[in-house]
Amino acid sequence: MKQLIEDIAKALVDIPEEVSVREVQGEQVTVLELKVAPSDLGKVIGKQGRTARSIRTILGAAGMKLNRRFTLEILE
Amino acid sequence: MTQRKYSASSIGPQIDTFLRTTLGNGGFQVNYSIQDVDPGEDDFETPDVVVKFSGQDVDLLLSNRAELLLAMEHVTMEMLRMHSDDHSRVSFDANDYRLLRIEELRLSAVTAAEKVKRTGVPFRFNPMNSRERRVIHLALRNEPAVRSESAGSGPGRQVVVYPAGMASLPEPPRGSAPPPRRGGPPPRSRGARR
Repeated sequence: MKQLIEDIAKALVDIPEEVSVREVQGEQVTVLELKVAPSDLGKVIGKQGRTARSIRTILGAAGMKLNRRFTLEILE
Repeated sequence: MTQRKYSASSIGPQIDTFLRTTLGNGGFQVNYSIQDVDPGEDDFETPDVVVKFSGQDVDLLLSNRAELLLAMEHVTMEMLRMHSDDHSRVSFDANDYRLLRIEELRLSAVTAAEKVKRTGVPFRFNPMNSRERRVIHLALRNEPAVRSESAGSGPGRQVVVYPAGMASLPEPPRGSAPPPRRGGPPPRSRGARR
C-alpha cells in the first residue's frame, strides 16, 4: 500500500525525490503518512481537496481487497 | 466539441504507465484499452480519448456511483497536468456506464425543464461534478423557455433551472455544503441520488 501511495504521489508532484510515505500499523487501521515538498502540497491535495479525496478512494478500494482499513494523512 | 487536442498516441503511453503501476500496486484485477474516439455528429459529450476497463474488478470500479473509476480518472488527469477545462476530453468507462449516465442526465434535464415550464418554479438538481453539470446545461441550451446556471461551490455545486425571465435565487447559506477537506477520512455522508 505504501508503494501505491508513493507511486501515485510521485506521478503528481514536480519534485518526486521529496516524496516519502511512512506506514504506521494500528490495530484496526493502517495509517499512511505522505510527505511531499511544500511547493507540491497543492498537487496532491487538488482544488477543493479533490485529488486527495480521489487518492483516498483508490486506497480504500485497494484496502478492501485486503480486508484492511487504510487512511491517508497528508503531512504539512 | 472543438478540434481534437489529445490522442491515444500522444497521451496513451503516459496513461498506460501510470495505470499499470497503480492497478498493479492496488491489486486490482482489471484490463483496459486506450482508444481514440471518433467525433460523433451532434454528440457534444464526445471525448478525444477513452480508457475502457473490463475484467473481474469492474464491479468495484463502478460501485458507489463509479467512485473508484472517477477517482482513477481524476488522478490520471492530474498526473497528465491536464487543465480542468480539458477534463472532458478524456473519459474512463466500463460497461458503458458513462454513456448511460449521460443519457440519464439528459433525460432528467428534459424532465426538469418540463416541470419548470409547467410550474414556473425553479428546479435545483442534486450536486454534480463539472462534467455532469455541463451535460445538463448543454441539454437545455435549445430550450428557450428556461435557463440554467450553476450555484454553490466545491462538491456542493449544483445546477438550477429557472423560467427564462426569472432572476437567480440567492445562494444557499455558506456552510451548507461540506467544507473542502485536507486531512482526516473522506466525508461519509452521501445523500440520496435524486
